[in-house]
Amino acid sequence: MSPSVAYGTDIDERTKAEEQSSTDVLTAPDIPWNLVIWNDPVNLMSYVSFVFQSYFGYSESKAHKLMMEVHKKGRSIVAHGSKEQVEQHAVAMHGFGLWATVEKAASGNETPGKGGRQRG
Amino acid sequence: MAKAFKYGLKGITGFLEPAERDLLRGLFDDVISMLEQDIRENEDPLAALIGLDMDVKQPGDRALLRLLPNVMKDDDGGSLEFRQLTERSVRENKIGALRAAAMGLDKDELVLSPEDSTRWSMALNDVRLVLAERLDIRDEADAEHIHSMQDWSQAEDVESYLALVYNFTTWLQESLVQAMLAARQAKS
Repeated sequence: MSPSVAYGTDIDERTKAEEQSSTDVLTAPDIPWNLVIWNDPVNLMSYVSFVFQSYFGYSESKAHKLMMEVHKKGRSIVAHGSKEQVEQHAVAMHGFGLWATVEKAASGNETPGKGGRQRG
Repeated sequence: MAKAFKYGLKGITGFLEPAERDLLRGLFDDVISMLEQDIRENEDPLAALIGLDMDVKQPGDRALLRLLPNVMKDDDGGSLEFRQLTERSVRENKIGALRAAAMGLDKDELVLSPEDSTRWSMALNDVRLVLAERLDIRDEADAEHIHSMQDWSQAEDVESYLALVYNFTTWLQESLVQAMLAARQAKS
């Protein structure tokens, strides 16, 4: 991405509740497809962060974290869901000009036990 | 000279000189024609109506492929199937944003609603993606090199001219996105 942006300093000041409410897309435990965003040298870091906030409703800090992951690691899984859900996200991301692909979640990366039945 | 977009009492505002508006209108129109050129008059009106395009192929042009990328990394069949179902609507969505931005260029002073700003940022982004392919920007070092060209007296050939145009649209988009982020912050 194109790093021409100064970020606010207080991005970690978000409340727990806010984090919680914005992470449901990411933490769905037992659904097997990922939406991946890939790094490219053109998209502005600010724009990628804006898209994550406005489209997914992610908090500023979460959007920033995911954007930095794309920038530094070359890719980031920004949402999980059914195949249809992540494909719909991919269409939206392509509309914004982000380089998005979908992939089956690798079973090895899944947190063990998460998809199991709940007690209580 | 253009003024950076900013967020204020009137919402998101910007200012462009007539020559800059002509330049942007030309860029928006170029990308519109790229996206339009191989939308066929669909043989099957029902398929067209529901957005299907069974004859679609992966774009041969790299810039167009960047605008309409494959949805799966290692599955050309799956990606093609996805194109048949979705590519038409992605194209139409992009063309809509580019047209809206081009139509907003009828005066110096730009006052953008939140929806206008989103369409503008998408349009500028698509223009930059196409320019970047033409300039062969492959990695951050290439981007850095292009970014260092800021002096219009350096515009002596097509490539340096494109580089300066790219830098202008980058600057404009960055200022717009900063204004959009400021508007979001003000609302929350």
